[in-house]
Amino acid sequence: MFADYRFGYLERVRFGLGYFTTPVYWVADIPTRVSFWIDDVFVSRTDLLEENENLREELLVAQRELQLLESLASENSRLLELQEAAEVIEGEVMPAEIINVSPDPYSKRVLINKGSTDGVFVGQALIDANGLMGQVDEVLPYTSWILLITDANHVTPVEINRNGERALARGSRDTSSVLELQFVTQTQDMLAGDLLVSSGMGQVYPKNYPVAEVTSVYADPGQDFATVRARPLAAMASTRHVMLVFEDEEVITPEVDILLAEPIDMPAQEDVAPADGSADSDTTAQGEQSGDATAQPDIPAIAEPTEQVEPEQSAVQDTGA
Amino acid sequence: MVIQQRAHSLWVILLSFFVAYLLAIVPFPDWAMNYRPEWVPMVLIYWVMALPYRVGIGSAWMAGLLLDILEGSTLGLNAMSLVIVAYVTLSLHLRLRMFSYVQQAGLVLALVGLNLMVTHWLQLMTNQTTASSLMFLMAALTSAVIWPSLFQLLRQVRRSFDVH
Repeated sequence: MFADYRFGYLERVRFGLGYFTTPVYWVADIPTRVSFWIDDVFVSRTDLLEENENLREELLVAQRELQLLESLASENSRLLELQEAAEVIEGEVMPAEIINVSPDPYSKRVLINKGSTDGVFVGQALIDANGLMGQVDEVLPYTSWILLITDANHVTPVEINRNGERALARGSRDTSSVLELQFVTQTQDMLAGDLLVSSGMGQVYPKNYPVAEVTSVYADPGQDFATVRARPLAAMASTRHVMLVFEDEEVITPEVDILLAEPIDMPAQEDVAPADGSADSDTTAQGEQSGDATAQPDIPAIAEPTEQVEPEQSAVQDTGA
Repeated sequence: MVIQQRAHSLWVILLSFFVAYLLAIVPFPDWAMNYRPEWVPMVLIYWVMALPYRVGIGSAWMAGLLLDILEGSTLGLNAMSLVIVAYVTLSLHLRLRMFSYVQQAGLVLALVGLNLMVTHWLQLMTNQTTASSLMFLMAALTSAVIWPSLFQLLRQVRRSFDVH
């Protein structure tokens, strides 16, 4: 029985049964919708005006920040282009609502009101206004389950915004919503208050979304790794409005050229290097016996790699310009 | 006429399960999660006890599968545990009907506890994260406390809609 479930033969059955369960979610969500509706209907005019004014102010501030961000983004992409690692993310988002949470307090999963009919797919990233929330775990016809980044079975590849140190953030094993950074060595530069952003390493999450803030770093000299805890930025327990990210990565052409160019250059180097190495070892072995001519055969061995590197650098400069 | 009545009564049973599913997935605050009564097993126990020739192990299996989908758990997890609950209830249903409320509640405590334990074991077997403490068994206690009123309510429903 369980072999079936493990190998996923029953995805289709689950999907089909999902049609039957949708009305239950729909009815279970009625109280929330009614309370929202009541909030919407019974609100005074002055409250609305006040809120409107506040929102306008916020919008102004946000627009100003957006302008700054745009200039920064273009500058950043130019710099990245120079570094041959240009990767522009212009993901589109689809708004969704969290309509339920997992009844099991030890698995941190939530249900959203978008399913396969809206184009949701497994592995899609979910964010809220403050940061990364999780990824789509299971898609049903009109709903889908999201595995939050605070689940014990979930690991998020992150990097520190300040210095680019990479780490893996794992959810906590108890009911609290805390992230633990795994395999952080004692010497890695991490401080409480550092912002963790997604590094895009696992190819699941888009790069550079804010994930968490480091709350405590404890380096015990007796342990192999430091204990680093972080607090997720997304409002895991209180938010209802979330966004699904449709990632739309555009890879700028220079990178493609270099990716294509590298495999051609690399084998040539490798072909030469082992030959040199074997020649070296042979000569040193002879040199130990003879004692005289150890230094002389090394000179061509060093000269050859430098010749190889030079054309590659010039090629890079050409593509960059 | 008879066919109509059977269809009618089936509708009542399905509705009771529907309400039980609703209560099973309505979000609770975190501290109360462990105390949520197990509605679906309790409704199942009632119907198996009252109408053992209509609601049996097959129905328990289907009810469990739907609960699995609703909770997003591994398919078959609740199905398995509910089948065990239905089997025990089926073999005890004649005695259960004779019991007083308190005795029934005691048996419901045992049955829901069994249900929870089986679910817990199956989760452990399939390497899923589960509770590290035994606090999740508190749900059996709340279920037993609620049982007498649920029993009376469902019996009222059964008699007024003439489900048989």
